[in-house]
Amino acid sequence: MIPLSLRGLAEAKAPYVVRLRTAACGEPGPDDARSVGQDDEGVAFSGSNGLLAIDGASAAMLDGDVVLVDPRRQRVERLLRAGSQHNTLVVTERCDQLCVMCSQPPKKTHVDRFALLEKACLLAAPDLLIGISGGEPTLFKEELLGMVERVISARPDLSFHILSNGQHFTEQDIPRLAAPVYRRVSWGIPIYAATAGLHDAIVAKDGAFVALQNGLAVLIMAGARVELRTVLVKDNLNALPELARFVAARLQFVEAWSLMQLEHVGFAKGRWANLFADHREAFAPLAEAIDYATLHGVRAQLFNFPRCTVPAAYRRLARASISDWKRKFPDRCAPCREQVECGGFFAWHPDDHANQMVQPL
Amino acid sequence: MKRRRFLIPSLLAAGLGAHDPARAAGDEPGVVPPPTDPDGASLARLYSQDHLFTLASHRSHSSHSSHSSGSGGGGHYSHTSHRSSTSGYDGGSFSYDPPAMPSLPRTPSSSPSPPNQTAPLPLFAPSERASPPTSDGLAPLSGRTRRFAAIVRRVELALLAQDFYKGPIDGTVTPELRAALRAFQGKRGLDVTGTITPATLDALMVASQ
Repeated sequence: MIPLSLRGLAEAKAPYVVRLRTAACGEPGPDDARSVGQDDEGVAFSGSNGLLAIDGASAAMLDGDVVLVDPRRQRVERLLRAGSQHNTLVVTERCDQLCVMCSQPPKKTHVDRFALLEKACLLAAPDLLIGISGGEPTLFKEELLGMVERVISARPDLSFHILSNGQHFTEQDIPRLAAPVYRRVSWGIPIYAATAGLHDAIVAKDGAFVALQNGLAVLIMAGARVELRTVLVKDNLNALPELARFVAARLQFVEAWSLMQLEHVGFAKGRWANLFADHREAFAPLAEAIDYATLHGVRAQLFNFPRCTVPAAYRRLARASISDWKRKFPDRCAPCREQVECGGFFAWHPDDHANQMVQPL
Repeated sequence: MKRRRFLIPSLLAAGLGAHDPARAAGDEPGVVPPPTDPDGASLARLYSQDHLFTLASHRSHSSHSSHSSGSGGGGHYSHTSHRSSTSGYDGGSFSYDPPAMPSLPRTPSSSPSPPNQTAPLPLFAPSERASPPTSDGLAPLSGRTRRFAAIVRRVELALLAQDFYKGPIDGTVTPELRAALRAFQGKRGLDVTGTITPATLDALMVASQ
């Protein structure tokens, strides 16, 4: 696993964002810190905020990374890793839902880091797609949209993908979300069922389904780019064909519909036996849903499905969806010829289960 | 009088930077820097003698918190190496309180270069110094603390050599060191930040590329 958080001792007292460069990179910019020494345990950088000594990394490994330095906690968070397509900024850990399978259970407290994250975005490598996640980012809608608009205006080469439950948009947001900068923003919005009862039960919030439909209506009217996301659990497996009909009938504007297998972390870890629906034994509802969506012009795709576990006819829909830093392949995958296109498993997925699931292609 | 006694160490300190370009070769990917840096190290050792015990108590500021807060991968690094020539003296006290310790001018008189101190890692092995008496229950210093303090110490020496700094050579960023940095930066026409910037390191010929 690629470490996203490192231990570091900083000269500064207040948190700051800086881009790390190797000494070979020439003249550092005002927001760059240059490596000034390295040993086999770590590396030291110097920038306008002063010295920063980091453990467990080399200058070459960190070159180009945009990091957030928290001196008090002696922590260096790699916000935007150079050369990675999988960079996600967590803007808040607060959430107004409590999904049964949540991979990152929310916290009550909100630490406002928008200013620092905005600076990080401005330092991003060219053409980077920056993910935004939570918590529920639109609980801080004003800060979020302001950040996105300022960043895209200053850096029109960047784009954002924002994970949101889509329940906090109002009609007043339509003109704003229709602005040209939002062509570079896509929204990943979860929908778990076509009925309020089941959807609300999975997200543990009454009224969530209705609020979601209102939010989706705003996004439709604003011409927003939307990816629907449906995590597979035992409870909604057999309801997927119905959801496919709902999506095809009412939400056909979406750019994609991602059907996602469960992640063995957070709440899902403790509830695995009750939640995990083994698609190898029950692919029929998935197949039916995918077929229906595809026939109606909705692009369905599979996330977190190892390719060999998907019937051959649907394999091309199985994306290498798991971020580089948390992707792994169990031992049995070694001889597989399709590993390059495969998402593999989350790093925290139990090896014995992963080994038992795969069948090298 | 004091001044004259200082002349030679100061010149040495000024010369210290000359070693650094070689050392910074370690910044190239995959190149591990040489574990010793001969003259600079012994010089630093020379200066830090008197401050040892004070530093040991200050250590708790940073190393304590760094080790207790857990899940980061950094903790165990600290056990691996004390061979780095300056490591034994790292206070790691990244503290803004001016440490209560003898100020530098007293140093030369009390450690007038015993001959064997220039030999590589002599009688008092740095490793013994780095691990405090276990009675205080402190974890050994982390790599980042050593790395950080080693550079700060060089900056202190270089500023001392150029008469901008008169405080202890202890690897600690104090208000006094910040003032010295600002004075130096102003004099050299650099951005006046009071921090250890790349331009300042270059101008001091410390850890340059």
